[in-house]
Amino acid sequence: MASLHSGEWRDICDKFTTAQQLNESQTDPETDPFRSKYNARELLREIYRSLKSFEAADGEEDSGGESGEQRPTEEPLDGQKEDSSGPSISGDSADGLRAAKLGAVEYYLGVNHIDTEELSAGQEHLMNCLKQLERCSVSSQNVSLCIHVRNQLGILWAGRDETEMAQGYLETAESIYQCYMKEDGTPPTDMTEYFTTEENMLTHQERTKRFGLAFTHTMYYLAQVYKSLGQTERAATYCHTTLQRQLQLNQFNPMEWALNAASLSQYYITRGHYMEGRHCLAAATVVSDLAGEVPSEAAAQESEAESERREQLRQKRAEIGRCWIKYCLNLLQDAKKQLEDNIGELDTDRQDELKRARRREEEEEEKGRKSALLFGSDDTFDSIASAEEKVLCFCPLDYTEARSVYLVGQNYVIQAKEYFQMDGYVTDHIEILQDHSALFRALTFFEEDLERRCKIHKRRIDLLEPICNELNSKYYLLIRRQLMFELAETYNEMMDLKLTLANRQADTQSLDSHTIKKSNSLCTASAKYFQMFLDSLCSPDGKFPEHLEEEVLRPALVARFRVARLHSRLISSSPQVQLVNLNKSLENYKYVVQYCEAHPEATSAVETELELSTEMAGLLPLKINRLKARMASNN
Amino acid sequence: MSKAKPCETVRVVVRCRPFSTREEGAKCENILDIDDKLGQITIRNPRATSDEPLKVFTFNSVYGWRSKQNDIYDDAVRPLVESVLQGFNGTIFAYGQTGTGKTYTMQGVSNDPERRGVIPNSFQHIFTLISRTQNQKYLVRSSYLEIYQEEIRDLLCKDNNKKLELKESPDFGIYVKDLSSVVTKNAAEIGHVMNIGNQSRSVGFTNMNERSSRSHAIFVVTVECSEMGPDGEDHIRVGKLNMVDLAGSERQSKTGAKGKRLKEAAKINLSLSALGNVISALVDGKSTHVPYRDSKLTRLLQDSLGGNARTVMIATVGPSHKNFGETLATLRYASRTKKIKNKPRINEDPKDALLRKFQEEIARLKAQLEERGMLAKERRRRRDSKRLSRSLAWMEEDDSNICGKESEMNHCTNDVPKVSISQGSSEKLKHLNEKRKSLEDMHWDQDALVKIIEKYKAMESKLLVGGKTIIDHTNEQQKMLERKRQEIAEQIRREREIQQQMMLQEEETLEMRETFSSMQQEVELKTKKLKRMYAKVQLLKGEMRDIIDEHVTTRQELEETQTELTRELKFLLIENFIPPEEKNKIINRLDFDSEEDQWRLWPVLPYVAQKCSSTYLTNIWKKH
Repeated sequence: MASLHSGEWRDICDKFTTAQQLNESQTDPETDPFRSKYNARELLREIYRSLKSFEAADGEEDSGGESGEQRPTEEPLDGQKEDSSGPSISGDSADGLRAAKLGAVEYYLGVNHIDTEELSAGQEHLMNCLKQLERCSVSSQNVSLCIHVRNQLGILWAGRDETEMAQGYLETAESIYQCYMKEDGTPPTDMTEYFTTEENMLTHQERTKRFGLAFTHTMYYLAQVYKSLGQTERAATYCHTTLQRQLQLNQFNPMEWALNAASLSQYYITRGHYMEGRHCLAAATVVSDLAGEVPSEAAAQESEAESERREQLRQKRAEIGRCWIKYCLNLLQDAKKQLEDNIGELDTDRQDELKRARRREEEEEEKGRKSALLFGSDDTFDSIASAEEKVLCFCPLDYTEARSVYLVGQNYVIQAKEYFQMDGYVTDHIEILQDHSALFRALTFFEEDLERRCKIHKRRIDLLEPICNELNSKYYLLIRRQLMFELAETYNEMMDLKLTLANRQADTQSLDSHTIKKSNSLCTASAKYFQMFLDSLCSPDGKFPEHLEEEVLRPALVARFRVARLHSRLISSSPQVQLVNLNKSLENYKYVVQYCEAHPEATSAVETELELSTEMAGLLPLKINRLKARMASNN
Repeated sequence: MSKAKPCETVRVVVRCRPFSTREEGAKCENILDIDDKLGQITIRNPRATSDEPLKVFTFNSVYGWRSKQNDIYDDAVRPLVESVLQGFNGTIFAYGQTGTGKTYTMQGVSNDPERRGVIPNSFQHIFTLISRTQNQKYLVRSSYLEIYQEEIRDLLCKDNNKKLELKESPDFGIYVKDLSSVVTKNAAEIGHVMNIGNQSRSVGFTNMNERSSRSHAIFVVTVECSEMGPDGEDHIRVGKLNMVDLAGSERQSKTGAKGKRLKEAAKINLSLSALGNVISALVDGKSTHVPYRDSKLTRLLQDSLGGNARTVMIATVGPSHKNFGETLATLRYASRTKKIKNKPRINEDPKDALLRKFQEEIARLKAQLEERGMLAKERRRRRDSKRLSRSLAWMEEDDSNICGKESEMNHCTNDVPKVSISQGSSEKLKHLNEKRKSLEDMHWDQDALVKIIEKYKAMESKLLVGGKTIIDHTNEQQKMLERKRQEIAEQIRREREIQQQMMLQEEETLEMRETFSSMQQEVELKTKKLKRMYAKVQLLKGEMRDIIDEHVTTRQELEETQTELTRELKFLLIENFIPPEEKNKIINRLDFDSEEDQWRLWPVLPYVAQKCSSTYLTNIWKKH
């Protein structure tokens, strides 16, 4: 700027630097928490005044008698006659630069006021900044400021719960950025550069970095705005963009990034978008490897920093592993849902149909991939792709496919358990075990050989039974209830399988004693765990609650119903034992019926069970009487 | 309160501080209206018009600025502390903006009994209660920790820069690994412990200002009680009292606390490092894994909010209109907290009870002492003989004497090497050494004995037994007095609850009165009802107006944005599609007609050109 004496200019630059430092200051005393901010504000105001006075001087110098008007006119400094039309000045012109400088000071003043919790004043300054900018066209001189000021306004309005306002500003920022990148794209001036002397100008690289970061923030704020507006789909897309920008511009902490990508995968999984989910997870795995090797135990003992790093890396990798487990689990369970017939067995017609459909899809897959959201910078893209190939991203349709998904899941289970050990991470450890058991369970659906299916269930028991008994029942009541219920159901399933197998082999003959023994022991075990579950609901003095709370209502009634069924299925040759079992069974059926009579609101939770219970409560007395009669006649 | 209900909600009380002198000087308006009979607090928006309905919140109790420390203690905290001694877990939170009297309420002025806060009062209360019990043994220990930016520090150990870890054990749930705990015998001692903690809290902050108002501090008092049960065995009950001084509510966002429960909504996270929070909020918790831990505070206190504990929250607010926003936020948060349900249980015979270990240790020491008591006489005799032998030239000391001593020594400690009688004089030097060694051993032994006795005494003194001063008549009377006071507090509380319920039921009952003695009465009643309904309608209308106003402003802003955008777009079009010369020409011909309030285009001289260019240009400029 011609008219600025370099001495004065240097003075302004120095003031600006000091103000910036004061703004960042953390050393204010508690009684006066904003002292340096107020000082910074004063300096900024001074800068503003100086700029204004220069402007006035310039105005008189260059265009003579345009007094009274605040708005400076364009000046033909750079030789080329600017066509300023209507309210607009070219952002590239000297006037544009001056407006940008004034705007920048307003911007800093605005942010300063917001920091000191004077929101309205801050808003006013930011709006002034916008006004200054509106006079000019967007150019590389001011585009960065354009984005920043809108970001700040977005934050301001979102903080006031006026999300739509925030959305407006941020979306404008987004479109400005995109327009600029399309039309110009040169690294724009950073706001700090307005007040630096020539020798301190930033490099192009640094400019690109700062500008990029500002826009990344716009994306990030938009994600939050969409989230609070309830547009989750869009919010997820913007989260994805934020992550992708961080990766591309190389502005990220690998572990943090990986963890974020992994959590984003969980969003896609719940929506059934497995391809995106897998992509996020693969990217998470690849990027987390960028954080380097886990320091060895020996190294960890040597220094505290290493030990913390080891802890962090191990924990976060284990967390990513757990996200993978959920991916495998959801994939298997979804597949099961699609293939299931009405009695929960594999529907082969459906299987063929889906297989045909998939073949068609595979042909179109190439297209699909291109349109999908992708992560990657130059050096990660390929490794992400190869990490993806290790697991399916569509529902497995037969045992081989299901098994391959299961194996991937199991691998991550082992990895996650290494960090989340029982001692110290009880809840996490058990959650992983429960997931493992659920993986097994989903796998059994695809296993056609009943003998082997039974063996898989046995492994679930081996997984959960020791833990369930080890836990303190006071602190882990809820977890134990879950475990008991699952154990009871698993034993029940095993018993069903054994009986089906036995019946298949010996069609007409009665069951051999070994099978009976086996089946009875499974039956008792199942009933035992259901009973344990029910006992855990009792009050300290051992009474079963009269009113079941909502979260245990269905499980409790189902458990009662199952106990009743199990007792009626115990095989015994002795009529006395039979009688005892049948009575127990009747008692539990009656309980379900009576509870639903007393609490009609429970009926809807257990419709089928209630129907069967009512029926059985009517039939069993007949059976008991017949048995009694037989016993009497035998005696 | 003593009988355990299976399920109870968090008790929330609100306390309002008086105006500060500065606020009085600045002529601040009071925006709060407190009805302590009903437990209601009414807040007025200072910027609203007079006919705008006020916002009313109902809490378990509400205290105005004339309330005394003791009132709050008696009403809100006393029952809680009592249940801690019965083996329940209890938590007291203070929540509110900085400068609304959290610390005054929690700690108060320590040397003035009238103005002592909740924490010192509860110390006093605990030990008074213990001294009045009979046939019970108590062990009281305390820990003090601070959570600052998700890092836990022990305030009671010397090296309090060490970060502690939160771990979980299958036997006793969540715990802070390596957290020190100090056994205390009386209120003064525990007060001292707290002071030490407070000091190390402030010492650590010199490098970082404002930390105290940004960190959460938790003081934990564990009361273990053993009592002979009807089965003849000792049963231990453990109650834990957490006293939590939360960071100023307005700084929650700055404390780095990521806990969902303690955060206000809507605000945008500025730092990209919180991207994870944003993402995880999108994920539906079921059947997925969200790899972010709950905040340490939330995990540590998970029992207090919806678990096995009784919880009291004291929300503090200021009356000034300047704090309207924060006060409203605090009241809203407190109101939400009211709905959290807890299921307190008595903690019986937990595996981690220190009392059990102490008792075992004491028994062991006692047994050891008894065993040694027999030896003590022997030792005295030995000391005499030692003196005797010293008076003689010890080179010529009788071998048998040594051997006698040696054999005695073997009684006490087995690790003294055996010496045979038949040792020759050439081995005398060796003997000497051994003798010296055995003497040392003896000394050590004696020291050990003293230590054991000391330890025994120390340990036993740590166990507190009540009932020693109960004969004191005044004490008895005091106890009565307190009980009465407590009954009164209970009564008041109940009254308030009933009144609150009455308020709710009033409307319903009114409608149920269907029989009217006369037409007149019916008319009266109906008019009353009408009036009430009318008031309600007005209230709702007001709310509606508010919402509409809000929407109108939003729309206006949006419209502005839209015009702004359109203008920008047009501008872009002009910039890019109209050659600059053309544009200049047009601009030169533009003129603002102030009479018609619109832009006009001067005609270009040749008639034809004017015609075509003007239509072309008006098309562009019409919309501008």
